[in-house]
Amino acid sequence: MLLVALLLLPLAAAVPALVAPRYHPSIAATSAAASGAAFLAALGLARANLRGGVPSIGPEEFLRADGLSAVLALVVSGVACVSLWFGAGYLERVRDHGGLDDARLRRFYVLTNLFVATMLLAVTANNVGVMWVAVEGTTIATAFLIGLEHSKAALEASWKYILIGSIGIALAFVGTVLGYFDFVQRVGEAPHALHWTVLARLSPGLNGDVLRLAFVFILVGYGTKAGLAPMHTWLPDAHSEAPAPISAMMSGSLLVVALYAVARWKVVVDAGVGPGYAGRMLILFGLASLVLAAVLLIRQSSYKRMLAYSSVEHIGLMCLGLGLGPLGTLAALLHMIGHAASKSLAFLASGNLLEAYGSPRIASVRGVLGVLPWTGALFLVAALALLGLPPFGLFVSEVMLVRAGFLAGRPWLMGAVLALLVAIFLSFLGHLHRMLFGIPPADVRPGERRPLGLLPLGFNVAVLLALGLVVPEPLLRLLRLAAGVLRP
Amino acid sequence: MSPALFSQLCALGSSLVLITGIAILWRHSLAVYIDYFARQSFVFVLVILGVAAYAGEAELYLVAAMVFLFKVMLIPRILRRVRRHVGVDIEVRPYVNVPASVALAGLLTLIAYAVTRPVVEISGLPTRAGIPLALAVVFVGLLIVVSRRSALAQIVGFLVLENGIALLAILATYGVPLIVELGAFLDVLLGFLVMQVFVYRIRETFDTIDVDRLSGLRH
Repeated sequence: MLLVALLLLPLAAAVPALVAPRYHPSIAATSAAASGAAFLAALGLARANLRGGVPSIGPEEFLRADGLSAVLALVVSGVACVSLWFGAGYLERVRDHGGLDDARLRRFYVLTNLFVATMLLAVTANNVGVMWVAVEGTTIATAFLIGLEHSKAALEASWKYILIGSIGIALAFVGTVLGYFDFVQRVGEAPHALHWTVLARLSPGLNGDVLRLAFVFILVGYGTKAGLAPMHTWLPDAHSEAPAPISAMMSGSLLVVALYAVARWKVVVDAGVGPGYAGRMLILFGLASLVLAAVLLIRQSSYKRMLAYSSVEHIGLMCLGLGLGPLGTLAALLHMIGHAASKSLAFLASGNLLEAYGSPRIASVRGVLGVLPWTGALFLVAALALLGLPPFGLFVSEVMLVRAGFLAGRPWLMGAVLALLVAIFLSFLGHLHRMLFGIPPADVRPGERRPLGLLPLGFNVAVLLALGLVVPEPLLRLLRLAAGVLRP
Repeated sequence: MSPALFSQLCALGSSLVLITGIAILWRHSLAVYIDYFARQSFVFVLVILGVAAYAGEAELYLVAAMVFLFKVMLIPRILRRVRRHVGVDIEVRPYVNVPASVALAGLLTLIAYAVTRPVVEISGLPTRAGIPLALAVVFVGLLIVVSRRSALAQIVGFLVLENGIALLAILATYGVPLIVELGAFLDVLLGFLVMQVFVYRIRETFDTIDVDRLSGLRH
């Protein structure tokens, strides 16, 4: 029941936006409420898992939420709830300034709800083919959202996104077909051969060479959607041109949904060919992403692109974690939650910066703490969290990750990772310092536009502090369950 | 029909699918790209029908009908309309010239043979000879996307790549389960419809569909 509710809530919220003759604030409120209710449903799924059950529904567990699915459902619905709640007021102000009209605002709510529903389907579908269909669905739902404000740059970003994203996902389908082929050769045609539970159970008997080939396609394919270097080229454009609530959801949750798909296949491949192979590939792509982020962060001139490259960095770290054994996997999952909270906070706050300063350029933004004290403080919190400083959640997960690396006997790798993190830290901090302090441009009017609109962001700060100070016991148990799902 | 004959027919059909794909690399005209894509899809339909008849898989007749309806009839028709609206016909100055792209296509076909060796080795199906060719079609589609600068040509490249994947699924496993097949088909169709809307928008905004002119967002 909870599973059905989880998927139907955002779908139901799309209906009023679709049939209403024109935009009305209640459409925004319905969407925010639906994703809030979806978050409660995800909490229910998490609770069921903590009690030892795995909720499922449909023939042969068509929809299934084990610990890992529950964690992802929490991330997706939580980020969606905060983004839509904050976005309601924010987008109306953008409309009042002439950046949007009512028709496009209405379309925003249709597509965003579909986007949330496809992400939730991707993380709860047991059939890896349906998971693929859902991930591809996210591309289609978001293509028009990036260019909502109809600028030249946004159009260019949308084209790159839909073309590169569709091709990446198509390659992931090649991997899925090869995995299915391997299964059919071994077991024969079974109606549920593409179900992850069936694949994972029977994978020890599969052909290793075919599985390795399949995983290359899976990793390159879903990795494109996850923004791993060198397939990341669409990401900085799309994430920086999209409206703030969409940037928050794409960066905070869509990237990890794609990584989730890789992780599901990793279990199958690990069981089939031994644990080393998939892990080594993940470490390779993770390290490449870190290097790329470190090199390109220095010369960024736009703060939204800076945040986008930071996403490449953090996805790279999660990838490394998944490749570094059970402790690394736990660190990656903790990192996933911390990144979702901090990156969505940063992107939503950046919406207010764009509104106040009228420019996405770092050089035009000075003295934020004086002009927008609350937004500035929240942006600072998000940035410090993203840099991995205590007392925020990403500090804990990064320490855990480095420890996992040393325990796995990879001191050189960890040395390189630490050096890259320091390089990223310095360039990010330089940009941040220039933005927050200094004398604001004369034409910028000081004062928060709508301080109460910032209220939902308090949730993100609370999550970051809770993860950083003391991880709540039930959450830790849930994360252990999720990491257990990924153990070969 | 004897398995040996069927196997040869499959290899022949897959080769024709690959050759129509490579033929796109040979030409410069967008109208011809669309024609060749339609022809490729038609050959693909024949391959599906052959496999369906030989293996007695009723689901595959449905897949063949859908491919015929959409990829042979509807999508080429929409593409032709977009092309007429856009008004430019010649794919001028591709990033990679014709001899080089055809040579690359040959190289990619060899690579496809090399990487699919384990797949062909363990396959017990008479269709297995076509598996490397199907992967080669995927690679050729990718090559069309990265070597052409017209947004419309890139869409054709994506559709060719998609044909390659669908062919791979048919040859390797007689098709994936129907629900996945239908979902994948719907995704491709929607993705295509979204892409062609963007071609209109790019044309309106930039006055060209040469994606090389879209360069406001480097780094």
